[in-house]
Amino acid sequence: MTSIVIPRPEGYARPRSALLDWLTTVDHKKLGILYLYSTMFFFGVGGILALLVRTQLAVADNSFVGNDAYNQIFTMHASAMLFLFIIPVWAGFGNYVVPLQIGAADMAFPRINALSFWLVPPAGILMFSGFLVDGGAAQAGWTAYSPLARGLGPGMDLWIIAVILLGVSSTIGAANFMVTMFRLRAPGMTMFRMPIFCWTMLVTSVLQLLATPVLASALAMLYIDRNFGGAFFDPNGGGNAILWQNIFWFYSHPAVYIMILPGMGIISEVLPVFSRKPLFGYKAFVFATMGIGGLGFSVWAHHMFTTGAVLKPWFGFMTFMIGVPTGVKMFNWLGTMWRGSISFEAPMLFALGFLSMFLIGGINGTFSAAVPVDFALHDTYFVVAHIHYVLFGGSVFAVFAGLYYWFPKIWGRRLNEKLGQAQFWLMFIGFNLAFFPMHLLGLDGMPRRIATYSNESGWEALNMASTVGAFLIATSMIPFIVAVIAAFMRPKDQPNDPWNANTLEWWTTSPPPVHNFDDLPEVHSERPLFDARQSGAGH
Amino acid sequence: MAVTGMRRHVRRSLLLLTVALFALASIGVASAQVGTPKPITDEAKKIEDLWIFTLLIAAVVFVAVEGALIYALIRFRKRNDELPVQTHGSTVLEFVWTGIPVLIVIALFTYSFIVLRDVENTAAAEDMTIEVQGFQYQWQFTYQLNDLGVNADPAASGEISVIGTAAEEPTLVIPIDEPIEFRLLSNDVIHSFYIRDFLYKLDVVPGRDNRFVITARETGDYFGQCAELCGLNHALMRFKLKVVTRDEFDLWVAEQTGGNGESAVRRAD
Ligand code: HEM
Ligand SMILES: [Cu+2]
Ligand SMILES: [Cu+2]
Repeated sequence: MTSIVIPRPEGYARPRSALLDWLTTVDHKKLGILYLYSTMFFFGVGGILALLVRTQLAVADNSFVGNDAYNQIFTMHASAMLFLFIIPVWAGFGNYVVPLQIGAADMAFPRINALSFWLVPPAGILMFSGFLVDGGAAQAGWTAYSPLARGLGPGMDLWIIAVILLGVSSTIGAANFMVTMFRLRAPGMTMFRMPIFCWTMLVTSVLQLLATPVLASALAMLYIDRNFGGAFFDPNGGGNAILWQNIFWFYSHPAVYIMILPGMGIISEVLPVFSRKPLFGYKAFVFATMGIGGLGFSVWAHHMFTTGAVLKPWFGFMTFMIGVPTGVKMFNWLGTMWRGSISFEAPMLFALGFLSMFLIGGINGTFSAAVPVDFALHDTYFVVAHIHYVLFGGSVFAVFAGLYYWFPKIWGRRLNEKLGQAQFWLMFIGFNLAFFPMHLLGLDGMPRRIATYSNESGWEALNMASTVGAFLIATSMIPFIVAVIAAFMRPKDQPNDPWNANTLEWWTTSPPPVHNFDDLPEVHSERPLFDARQSGAGH
Repeated sequence: MAVTGMRRHVRRSLLLLTVALFALASIGVASAQVGTPKPITDEAKKIEDLWIFTLLIAAVVFVAVEGALIYALIRFRKRNDELPVQTHGSTVLEFVWTGIPVLIVIALFTYSFIVLRDVENTAAAEDMTIEVQGFQYQWQFTYQLNDLGVNADPAASGEISVIGTAAEEPTLVIPIDEPIEFRLLSNDVIHSFYIRDFLYKLDVVPGRDNRFVITARETGDYFGQCAELCGLNHALMRFKLKVVTRDEFDLWVAEQTGGNGESAVRRAD
């Protein structure tokens, strides 16, 4: 087996002070790490806000936080989790992993990459500084429906500007990822030999490039309505309240896939490695990913069935259709494990958590696609259950699968296996306790986004169960944090490829040198490292 | 990890997984009894049928896929270091498992389309129309005296209007067994008119004239609540619903128009 020697670019490792280095770096690995740190920070902040929400709702007629504070807290919980955690966390993984997986030395545009990252912290600060201004932080929900959002205090403007900044960040980031994958693949790596995680990042980037500018335009209109006497969304001034919803969801349904596709990509890296088989139906999986992306643009109005202002059969049908490529993926994952040799290290446990919980999130979404059933379920806690089975049971489990899987590569150390197992089981049980009861609360008529409910409603027991579950989830972060600290106290001892993995990032050292690779194996399939092991040409 | 340690470990994990799924299933079963909505209209009954149909399909899919997953984890767990056969896929299988969801989708869509057609009725001229005004943060229900359904007197003038206040939830009173149209209006922000036991809600959108029709089939006391975030006291936009017989309804109307000075009632002249 021959290897290709990479010429080392000049002027890479100029010595600088560590702090200056982190602040000015254009290295995709460092930017990836910065993304991971800051998004995990916002995951923590969003989590604390969630605990406040759950504390308020634990008992009926509670006044732990008032209505005003409650509306700010749940709005900022959702906004932080979606815009500051889950969307940019994939940019973090993507930044670190994509160039390594395709055998590149960096992203196509390293400086633009740095700009993408450096837009995130200021946006987070802006959004949260709403808590300091008159009238408090944004409180119209993460969906900012107008005319409600039109009349609220200046915290809303901060929110709008922050989301626009984040939109710019992900739009230029998306262009960067696309060019990187189109132009910088290693010799021999055709598009259909690209690792699945890269494919999901690619489709995600296309969605971001097409959808995010639409959101930016909606936000600009809302800003004009609020500050310059516009009336785009104000019927009393000749505008249209439903227009906001159409534009917002035209972005935000594709955004829902922006939030889950890279997670599916991570799962599709982890399952083959820990089943010791290739991904079953690689091409079908790629086409299913594109199918989900494409269909994602034709279902936005399923969030608007109860407005009475949309073509219900069409959007119901298209929404059901998304179940088809999603089902294909599910079967491909099962096919991957079938007749495999499955081991249960922490990354695999989290991946299995994803499979079993995302399945529920797909199934309970189907109820809302059956339009008349959605009349009952829409805007109740049933939808909150759906969102979380998808975004927590799906995306968040995938985030942890990815962290446990790539930790040895990124930091050169392994996270303690026992602590990983403890975290998984606490999180898995806590998650179901927190979110399963919400299905029943929704059926029972509990609307979402209410700051309190009456004693006569009969909703108290299930709410209490849900709150206990939420605190169990919080507890599950303790073993994780301990594992991270313990890992950082040990020396870097990880070999290039601790998992017997398949893709190029495991060819180089852990962590990789600044320039990533000294040499590359020839790429003949989507599993170059597997091929190299088979031909006995490892390092 | 040693092979035996690994085994023990796998077994413990699988046990935990089974316990967790079992717990999940039993929460589901146990709470299926409590507080599910009681479909009290013709439309709600059809929606409930669709719900049950969807639930059955969902249950089959859930058990099949989750079952296959657990089976695979037990059956194909690592026993030795031998590399399993490297299968890359199967075009036949891909077609099969694209086809199965397509069939399910067609079934679900067809049935939900039929139900959708059945539950979205328009009112006949003689049906009573109740005007529902949503405002931050309560409801106002208005009945025109010349539009009270079967016993209406076309010559009557005036209206009955019930307004909720922060201190007191308003009660919406409707007669059983006749189609009633709700006309939803707002002058401020979007609200949503939601009655659990109708299994139905419709948004109250400023600038739109949203209407729906139901026929109630069970008398009794029910509740409703705003379902679209509308600001500070959104959580308090609750109201009561009373479904009564035609006689009781006429009596109620007479009481309201008797002019005994209740603040929530107003006679226009
Ligand atoms: C199996 C495929 C899916 C189906 C059939 C589906 C269906 C739906 C439907 C019909 C709604 C509207 C419910 C309502 O408000 O009445 C909805 C809401 C939602 N879905 Fe999905 N969905 C699917 C997958 C996903 C995925 C992958 C995500 C995210 C990663 C997601 C996240 C959400 C969110 C956040 C909402 C709530 C939006 C809101 O009202 O605030 N869904 N889904
Ligand atoms: Cu959507
Ligand atoms: Cu409301």
